Amino acid sequence: MAPAATSTEWDHEYNTLRRQKLFQEPPTDRSAYPLLQVAVDPHIESFDALFKPDGLIERGLADIGTRIFLDGDDRSAPVGRNRLTIKYKSVQLQKSQIPITNKFAKNREILPAECRERHVTYRGKLSATFEYRINGGDPQEFTREIGQLPIMVKSRHCHLYNNSPAQLVAKKEESEELGGYFVVNGIEKIIRLLLMNRRNFPLAINRPSFANRGPSYTAYGIILRSVRPDETSQTNVLHYLNDGNITFRFSWRKAEYLVPVMMILKALVETNDREIFEGLVGAPNSKGIQNTFLTDRVELLLRTYKSYGIYTKAQTRAYLGEKFRPVLGVSETLSNYEVGTEFLRKIVLVHLGNVNVTEEQDSDKFRMILLMVRKLYALVAGDCAVDNPDAVQNQEILLGGFLYGQIIKERLDELMSTGLRAAFREYWRRFPGRTFTSQEFQKDFPAKIFTKLSENIGNLLEYFLSTGNLSSPSGLDLQQVSGFTVVAEKLNFLRFISHFRMVHRGSFFAQLKTTTVRKLLPESWGFLCPVHTPDGSPCGLLNHLAHKCKIMTSAVDASAIPQLAAELGVVDTSSAATDESVVVMLDGKIIGWCKPTESRRIADTFRYWKVEGSHGVPLHLEIGFVPSSNGGTYPGIYMSSEPARMVRPTKYLPLEKEDFVGPLEQPYMSIACTEPEIISGESSHVEFDPTNMLSILANMTPFSDFNQSPRNMYQCQMGKQTMGTPGTSLRYRTDNKMYRLQTGQTPIVRSPLHNAYGFDNFPNGTNAVVAVISYTGYDMDDAMILNKSAHERGFGHGTIYKTKKITLKEENRTKSAKNVTKLFGFAPNTLVRGWDRNMLGDDGLPHVGRCVQEGDVLCAWHTVSADYSGNLVNRDGVTHYEKYKDSEVAFIEEVRVIGSESGNEPMQTISIKLRIPRSPIIGDKFSSRHGQKGVASQKWPMVDMPFSESGIQPDVIINPHAFPSRMTIGMFVESLAGKAGALHGLAQDSTPFRFDEQNTAGDYFGHQLKMAGYNYHGNEPMYSGITGEELAADIYIGVVYYQRLRHMVNDKYQVRTTGPVVPTTGQPIKGRKRGGGIRVGEMERDALLAHGTAFLLQDRLMNCSDYSRSWICRTCGSFLSIQPTVSPFVGKKKTVSSVRCRNCAKRLDEMEDVDLTKVTGEIWEDGQGTQWVGGEDTTLVAVPGALKYLDVELAAMGVKLKYRVDPKDAPRKGPLVQTNWDALSAGKKANGLQPALVAA
Amino acid sequence: MSREAYQIPTSQGAGGPGAGNAAVAGRAVDNEGLPMLYICGDCGTKFPLKRGDTIRCIECGCRVLYKERTRRMVQFEAR
Repeated sequence: MAPAATSTEWDHEYNTLRRQKLFQEPPTDRSAYPLLQVAVDPHIESFDALFKPDGLIERGLADIGTRIFLDGDDRSAPVGRNRLTIKYKSVQLQKSQIPITNKFAKNREILPAECRERHVTYRGKLSATFEYRINGGDPQEFTREIGQLPIMVKSRHCHLYNNSPAQLVAKKEESEELGGYFVVNGIEKIIRLLLMNRRNFPLAINRPSFANRGPSYTAYGIILRSVRPDETSQTNVLHYLNDGNITFRFSWRKAEYLVPVMMILKALVETNDREIFEGLVGAPNSKGIQNTFLTDRVELLLRTYKSYGIYTKAQTRAYLGEKFRPVLGVSETLSNYEVGTEFLRKIVLVHLGNVNVTEEQDSDKFRMILLMVRKLYALVAGDCAVDNPDAVQNQEILLGGFLYGQIIKERLDELMSTGLRAAFREYWRRFPGRTFTSQEFQKDFPAKIFTKLSENIGNLLEYFLSTGNLSSPSGLDLQQVSGFTVVAEKLNFLRFISHFRMVHRGSFFAQLKTTTVRKLLPESWGFLCPVHTPDGSPCGLLNHLAHKCKIMTSAVDASAIPQLAAELGVVDTSSAATDESVVVMLDGKIIGWCKPTESRRIADTFRYWKVEGSHGVPLHLEIGFVPSSNGGTYPGIYMSSEPARMVRPTKYLPLEKEDFVGPLEQPYMSIACTEPEIISGESSHVEFDPTNMLSILANMTPFSDFNQSPRNMYQCQMGKQTMGTPGTSLRYRTDNKMYRLQTGQTPIVRSPLHNAYGFDNFPNGTNAVVAVISYTGYDMDDAMILNKSAHERGFGHGTIYKTKKITLKEENRTKSAKNVTKLFGFAPNTLVRGWDRNMLGDDGLPHVGRCVQEGDVLCAWHTVSADYSGNLVNRDGVTHYEKYKDSEVAFIEEVRVIGSESGNEPMQTISIKLRIPRSPIIGDKFSSRHGQKGVASQKWPMVDMPFSESGIQPDVIINPHAFPSRMTIGMFVESLAGKAGALHGLAQDSTPFRFDEQNTAGDYFGHQLKMAGYNYHGNEPMYSGITGEELAADIYIGVVYYQRLRHMVNDKYQVRTTGPVVPTTGQPIKGRKRGGGIRVGEMERDALLAHGTAFLLQDRLMNCSDYSRSWICRTCGSFLSIQPTVSPFVGKKKTVSSVRCRNCAKRLDEMEDVDLTKVTGEIWEDGQGTQWVGGEDTTLVAVPGALKYLDVELAAMGVKLKYRVDPKDAPRKGPLVQTNWDALSAGKKANGLQPALVAA
Repeated sequence: MSREAYQIPTSQGAGGPGAGNAAVAGRAVDNEGLPMLYICGDCGTKFPLKRGDTIRCIECGCRVLYKERTRRMVQFEAR
């Protein structure tokens, strides 16, 4: 008998032995934590959807279709020229493999772990098979390699696909490796989930910016984001004009085009005005005909279109074809009519018919546009309300894999249309005589012509993943061009898993000034977590999926629906009056109409069948029943079976079975939150658990229902900043920076989900005995006192791993042994300092296990060049060193020597992993799981800590003032529960919403405490550790799980007195990394001024900044004219004996008939030996360096600054009179600021 | 091995204990291309590499090699 399958059921207990066993013997059948994989599955499944049979790429190739090229002169008519038709037959992706040129490797697979270690991209060979025929001859095939495509880890094309934990461990992965990301240059990247408008659903929009589109445009419009079978989308918009007309708008290759909607209607089917009128308004005997608002406008619509004079379908298509021929870039061989057909195929409601469009599909499109027009008129008339595009109800999710596929498709399209066209043109230019039929061409065709075009699609996608920038000619119907990818940081496991559940609204909305898009709307219930969003700028834009929310990645089979609907009484005829008939739609296709009274019955019947699993109605079908209302949302039944929808499980009451509910249907359903809340006759569903609305992270906050809600938000953020356990395969990871908590524990207080998600494999904190007391004053203002002995026992001890990649390769060089210019190691046969020699091994790499300090060498290298026999010889005899630059002591953990994929390169790249121990020090940040963060302020000796009657001393002391305003009652409850759990040896279930007013948490855990012989309330008498006296009050003491956050003073502190300065001004430079200063800005200056601390101000702004002493001439008041005298006798000795002003001095040789005996003052010499006299009135002043710089800058502009060193130097105005200084008024003295500045 | 019996390896220690002298002698003659021991990331084989050798495991062709932990005494002030 085979051993029993690994159990996947988890409760809240510790399960120590079970976990131990899972660690020692990783299961060989399946993971014990399936929920983890489920959380990441949308990413992987969406990637897998690309390359499978009938996958998205294959459908995309069908949409790209066939290209026709003509030979010969471009300007001549198509007749008589040979034509070559070419199309993609298929595109294949291979698994990641060693290139065949490498003959040494035994194992040909390249595993993701190797890519991480080697800092390269995990990718596989992508190749495309083309099929072409010349002049309609026999089809011929050829295959081209189109680059190496990055592969998603754990996807079908990954070596880890469907691997058991045991296999994963053997392949150097986590036992619970999730995949869902790409490895690009050794960094793990994920494509963000993006919220998009709901597909194939006409959204009624009132957007003021619509009115800016041109004269007579109004704010009203209908947006329909139409999605092709290959998941690319094309948005169609109807605009309402002032006069009642309607225009159809679309954008194509980033340019917008407007077409009268009538033209589209007439082009789609062979129709007449009466059919359109009745299709919009309804049959002559229907109620819709009484709606004069509508009839007037439809009449106008029909009348204004008369001016075009185009009547039949053929005429209209030809007209459209003529106009859009240059836009679509189609072959010149197509007639106008065919181009018009192509236009309708490619742009108009592409979800209803995209490839080989049938007449029936065109008629579907026609009817859909009629519905859109109808809804638009209803919106304008006020008969229906606008749809909110910011509500989850009208949104779906763009999955990473689908976006990836869209880019690949577009690149393939570009390659064949633009790339191949240019290659042909180039070829005809070079060989004008040749044709498609000529012998030479047939020899050249695939090989020579294809080498001319850049066909590396893999590189483009690698660029996309590493930068997140989309460079696309069409824009892919997206609102942003950057920010599509993020690094999946493995700071701790919570952060890592959150990346996969993250949903972004789009970076376009981040710049929006209005906050409406950020609002938490009731529609998001159960789909997006209300708690888990960051505060600050991304608040409300960056949401996280509720943990039970699932994203559909493939369409469900809804083929039975139209037939069933017809049987239930859905008919083809309709009326514009929504109280007469409402639409029944499936995936944006109208399957009929029914009476509003019947619509509920139909929807309910479908739902019953759906949950029952009968009649071929799939369980994951969304049946969006919008009831008729007075001016509410446009009614109808909107069913959806397509991928990219969010769904979530709830219990369907009539059958007591699981039903999946979508966001469109949810607002119109009554889903009870708990069993007691079920209202008979109204509630159709009940939640399985109220915690289903929370994200994975929010579920980890114990007793979060007791907390004030912002505190839970803070915890969701801080949980992601915790220094925890990123994983167990740390040896095979080379993240730039990795944090690790050495002494992680499982929390005593946790919910069952903690186990189900396997978070005990990645502990994130430590259980600490916490006393809430104001003790010693070192716990003021969110500071916390650490017990020194707890610290010594390893409380919160952590480590940082840094990886430094050192490569000797020059960037963008082709790799080959000939290009090796540098090698690791000491230059041979040279003398090396013993100190450096000792720090490194003989190979020039550091000793593994060594301790390195600032300035120590990490490795040595020297230049080499090949000698005549091809040996690499060093010629200059110089050894270069790479130094360790950080100020902290680190240890060499690993030295990794990285070879090339081809296996024929000498040592060119190494990666050194450094370990930096970080035991908690004063200033490090800690937090409980309730948004209560604090900074360690003291490590208090154990003897001086307070102790309880049982001799317990707290590990952490926090201040009681942390609670009243923040109202984190959950922390009190956790403290109680933790204490009781520790005393009884229990794991405590902390799931929120388990207690109520009758059965309180305080009572439950209080009794547990009582049973253990402790105070029911959790208070205990305590004794001062210093005096031994009993404290006057009982102290609340319990066990709380504490997290150490990654913000540590060692990464933050910034002090300096002197250091590097900016050369121009002499002021300190900016930046902590470079030893710069912190700016004392204007506000800080104001504060110092207000305190009257003039010396401090002087110290900050002058002495510690750009203090400089400078000579100045008191007479002319200038810094710029002074110069030291040069004594002709002393020689070259640099002694500044005296400084003179050159401006005020006189040159002796320019004075006429000088009598040296009569010259007043000393004669001095400048550097050139010129003799001067005068200019002696100079003095030394202390000024800011910036002032001198300003002086020089202004002088360059021709502005002279004159400084008054003393009031006495002030220029006198008026006639010279004897001044009695003492008699001067006090006011005038105040005017003469020292040294005052007077612009001359 | 007791603390007193520990001897600081003099050379890079290619091969077993007996090979020490030979390696030192070889070093004196030819200072270039001294082999160091590396561990294959895949199969764990220990093998020497000389300056300018191609980086791959001699057994399995693996492209990631680890430098062996130093055999020198490594001691720090424990604080």
